Amino acid sequence: MQFLIIPGSITAFSVAVIWAALQLDVSPPMVVGDSLQPRVFPIFLMIINIGLAVFLAIQYRKSPPKTNPREALQTWGTMALFVVFYFFTVYLDMMIAIAVVMFAMCLMWGERRIHVAGAVAFVTPVTIFFLFDLVLRVRFPRGLLTNWYYG
Amino acid sequence: MIEALQAMGSVVLDPYLIFLILMTTILGVVIGVLPGLGATTGAALLLPFTLTMEPVHAIAVLATIYVSATFAGSITAILINTPGTSAAAATTFDGYPLAQRGEAGRALGIAVVSSTVGGVFSVIVLCIAAPMLARVAYEFRPPEYFALTLFGLSMLATISAGGTLRNLIGGVFGVWLATIGAEPTTGIERFMFGNYELYEGLAFVPVFIGLFAMSELLVQSRRINQVVDTIALKAVKLPSRDDYKRIWKTVLRSCGIGTFIGVLPAEGATVASMIGYAEARRWSKNKDEFGKGSIEGIAGAEAANNAATGGAMVPTMVLGIPGSGTTAVILVGLMVHGLRPGPYLFTEQVDKVYQIFGAMLLANLMFMAMGLYASKLFARISLVPLQILWPIVFALAVIGAYALSSSLLDVWIVLIFGVVGFVARRHGFAVAPIAVGLILGEMVETNFQNSLKMFEGDWWLIATQPLAALFLVFAFLGLFGPVILRSIVKKRN
Repeated sequence: MQFLIIPGSITAFSVAVIWAALQLDVSPPMVVGDSLQPRVFPIFLMIINIGLAVFLAIQYRKSPPKTNPREALQTWGTMALFVVFYFFTVYLDMMIAIAVVMFAMCLMWGERRIHVAGAVAFVTPVTIFFLFDLVLRVRFPRGLLTNWYYG
Repeated sequence: MIEALQAMGSVVLDPYLIFLILMTTILGVVIGVLPGLGATTGAALLLPFTLTMEPVHAIAVLATIYVSATFAGSITAILINTPGTSAAAATTFDGYPLAQRGEAGRALGIAVVSSTVGGVFSVIVLCIAAPMLARVAYEFRPPEYFALTLFGLSMLATISAGGTLRNLIGGVFGVWLATIGAEPTTGIERFMFGNYELYEGLAFVPVFIGLFAMSELLVQSRRINQVVDTIALKAVKLPSRDDYKRIWKTVLRSCGIGTFIGVLPAEGATVASMIGYAEARRWSKNKDEFGKGSIEGIAGAEAANNAATGGAMVPTMVLGIPGSGTTAVILVGLMVHGLRPGPYLFTEQVDKVYQIFGAMLLANLMFMAMGLYASKLFARISLVPLQILWPIVFALAVIGAYALSSSLLDVWIVLIFGVVGFVARRHGFAVAPIAVGLILGEMVETNFQNSLKMFEGDWWLIATQPLAALFLVFAFLGLFGPVILRSIVKKRN
């Protein structure tokens, strides 16, 4: 039954989208005219996707896809760092978040020299920040450091 | 014609543009030699940096990244058996064996010259074909555009990475992503879940950065323990006269193949190089040499993949339909900078169009100089440790995404689509169809709705329009052609 996992996931996603599409508002006929209600096109797309998923299931049954090796610890760790980045950005500061994630990523991916990881994590965001701030005139979201910098 | 040549020539009179092209060529070559960072990722990461530039300069920068990174993938393909870009995968078949025989310089010389000829040839074709196609495209109305976008989507079925079904599923998913936001006719909100920042739909650039750069970061996290063999490079030398005699037919053939495949919607340099390589082998008198270090193999693949760059720009600029993953990013760049792709670009802003073509031509010549004189240096860059390189890419990606519209939502979109792209790639789905679907999604829906209004709800009348019918036939062949062909071959056997 393993061959059903991916087509099944696609079908489940498509059904969820169809359900969400059915909750959309209906536009008055005089506005829609000869064209379609806003819900029709996404539903049509998802029906196509379900059809394709059925064919995919048949294909996988005939020739099962290669089984992937387990994810490396670094991959899970990197995804976890995305979550860390979110919380640090929302509750602390985007630049601090980038520096922390870069530092952790360097170490997690195998950099043994802490001073190198530290230098990369410090120099890169600072350089990019000043490039965007001074040259491209982009203001970054308010946070601990940016509040201090912008005043 | 004279105006066009004048506009192209004006590029060499703009020192700032020449400086930009030079710097971007260097950057493009660096991006191309770094495994995992291809032209598409590079262009997506660089797009936010072009925001304050003039439109021509910005698009010239993106186009230069495209051509130089496409070439540079061959450097690592030859020297470390790792294609810097997917378009250089076919170059490893013969480039690396030739380098192992101690002829790395010769292999790189062949790759540089073939790539330059391919690139220059395709820009010339672009200059001639684009205005001609634009003249035809003036006549396009919603039914023709609808059928054309369907044709573009159907071509996703034949993109090399991923299988037909998986590419189509990815394409449909991309089209669905384009429905997020307010529906264009009625203004009814779709799939926004209360988030009003999505009212105008998903921004293309964060999605692209997520799909290409962030997902690649996660893919690379699985490869950090791989060890690569590097080959010492003495000097890059131009091919000898005998080499030229052997490869000129192959190069010319691949130029034609690459440009033609590039013009086809959604097909790109990777498909072109594979077909260029296969055709080089088919027509060669020395078939046995292929896979063991054939210079025709290198020339066939390299001329084709760079010829595809100019070809892919034709539908991008004339019809607003991306010819490849990278041109999808360039298309977004055109929109961001107020250059609306389509036939009217060739009447309203023709000088800018030709300046962009001129910049592409110049970029091709510049990467030739760099390939010949600095390949050794660039090859060393490929040895930058992944644990240093990819955290920097992370920083560039999130800051670049934020800078586009100063919205944190764009940053979250990058992270989400990074994971989506990674999961998709892990299960054999390519991410390019999702990107192309996202771009074509709005076009396909809007033109279908407008066609319905035109024909008072009778959708089948679309097929009665000659050009639309032709595109629908192409779309049908794009989808079912390979299946029909296979069954015919099966019956014959």
